[in-house]
Amino acid sequence: MKSYLDRFYDTLRSVKLAIVLLAILVLLAIVGGVVPQGKPVDFYPAQFGGSIGKLIVLLGFNRVFSSIVFLITTALFAVNLTVCTFHRLTQELGKSWKKRRHGPDILHVGILILLFGAVLTARTRTENIIELQEGQSSALPDGSTLTLTAFNFETYPDGRPKTWVSTVTVGTHTQTQRQIKVNAPLREHGYSIYQKYWKNESEVVLLDPTGMEITLQQGMRQPTTGGFVFFMAINTDENPSQTQSPASLLAGANQNNPVFLVEDRGKRLVVKANEGDKVGPFIYKGTIEKSISGLSVVSDKGYPYVVAGFVLVAIGVFLTYVQKLKGLVI
Amino acid sequence: MIATSAFILLIVSLIIQIVHFFKTKAAPDKVSSWLSLAAGVLLLIEIIRRSVAIQFIALTGLFESLVFLACLLSLLAFAMRFFNWSRENRVLPFGATIIAIIFLALASSPIAPSEVKPPVPALQSGWLILHVSFTFIGEAFFAVGFVSAILQLLTKDKDKAKNYDRTTYTSIAVGYPIFTAGALIFGAIWAEKAWGIWWSWDPKETWALITWLTYTAYLHLRLVRKNTSKLVPALVIIGFFVAMFTFLGVNFLMTGLHSYA
Repeated sequence: MKSYLDRFYDTLRSVKLAIVLLAILVLLAIVGGVVPQGKPVDFYPAQFGGSIGKLIVLLGFNRVFSSIVFLITTALFAVNLTVCTFHRLTQELGKSWKKRRHGPDILHVGILILLFGAVLTARTRTENIIELQEGQSSALPDGSTLTLTAFNFETYPDGRPKTWVSTVTVGTHTQTQRQIKVNAPLREHGYSIYQKYWKNESEVVLLDPTGMEITLQQGMRQPTTGGFVFFMAINTDENPSQTQSPASLLAGANQNNPVFLVEDRGKRLVVKANEGDKVGPFIYKGTIEKSISGLSVVSDKGYPYVVAGFVLVAIGVFLTYVQKLKGLVI
Repeated sequence: MIATSAFILLIVSLIIQIVHFFKTKAAPDKVSSWLSLAAGVLLLIEIIRRSVAIQFIALTGLFESLVFLACLLSLLAFAMRFFNWSRENRVLPFGATIIAIIFLALASSPIAPSEVKPPVPALQSGWLILHVSFTFIGEAFFAVGFVSAILQLLTKDKDKAKNYDRTTYTSIAVGYPIFTAGALIFGAIWAEKAWGIWWSWDPKETWALITWLTYTAYLHLRLVRKNTSKLVPALVIIGFFVAMFTFLGVNFLMTGLHSYA
């Protein structure tokens, strides 16, 4: 007669428990695969109807993969896998070398390390987005400097993107140039730096009364003696060089003519300018397009564990079924 | 044109196989498996032709994926006959041929534009090629397991059911590690390199996980139930439907990072 503890141990390591937990995980994943995840609470009643939408939110189906039920099931699965692996391993080690089959053990240990890595990633991963123009620098969280020395963007003849490459230097002293491409992140100083996106941004060039050029990015202001000149947006309206209400000007703001907010001795005026027009004390000279590289700087302590987990899962799964298939004739 | 020729060859192969089903005493048909091989080789040539045109391995769109899957199934249908893989030798290649024809029919439909287009930066990755090719090789074996599991459920002969169970199990046991490597491991590595995150619970990822969990459940259930339960082959059938939903259904019903696949 087995003791309660033995029976509890047997249950914890049992394949039946594994199957039940797998079934629960499948059901929860189906919910997560059908119901859009992480949307605002208002989205669900609008998408699925009032009562169903409210029920989805109430049951936590809008965030299944971070719900208590999912986390507890995954934790139980990890316990089941740990006890099963321990039991199997002790049994296998008692056998002669030739009869041992360590494939499932390696596979299970791999999954456990993968789960550990996933938890570590979920708790420690940080991501910072840095937008840089050529020649600009940004400080990384460890104090070193990331400088974009060049940005190259190419398109296919049909206009689709072909390649986008940021050439950067990282560090305080080193001037070695490194490239960051989509699918080829730079791993440096414990960070992984990814080519996340790119965009074009317009800058306006103004000439001050002395003829000196002043460059303004959208959202920037230039102080003047009477107040300031603020670069609001670019306007597509075909009738430029006049003053309008800010709302009507910004409604069509997109390309071509820049829109400025000019403050002069307490009076504010919105100005849509053509080249050569006066904007406060300045002359609007023109607009230049500059490419901006969006880089994502990621720090992830779970990275090595996830990699190790994948390697073990790959080895384990192949060993398991190669060993099984050896003795199997169809 | 090449894919169409392969489609015609598969149709002819299928007709010959159907005719031989009604001739139970006739000598085994020797032509259909060679036609399947020819179709598989033609589809491979089509993939190579497209790869040369875009200067990258042509496995980055739905059309190419469907052609690749049909190619694998045609080659598997030939191999099953030529190497005498299954004791129930006629039905499995027949099933594989039908599924290959379905994939090619889908490839010729408007849902899968056949225009040759070089890949955008996110798709220019060796890991993507490993991800897609391993996933589809695994799924081709799942397709064989799917046909075998249906036959296992339909037959009333216990010996035949046992043979089908072995074929089902072997197909899944071969396909599972390849699918695991392709769909989950190589997929996650590609995601990390392209987007900086291993896993983002994108619908395609979630459904690939559901597929993997279903086949994992099958392999474990078979450990305890052997071939005595109808649930065991039923899981393989469900698994294949889930795999096909992951491949095709998610693309058209949900949006996510894999919207180009």
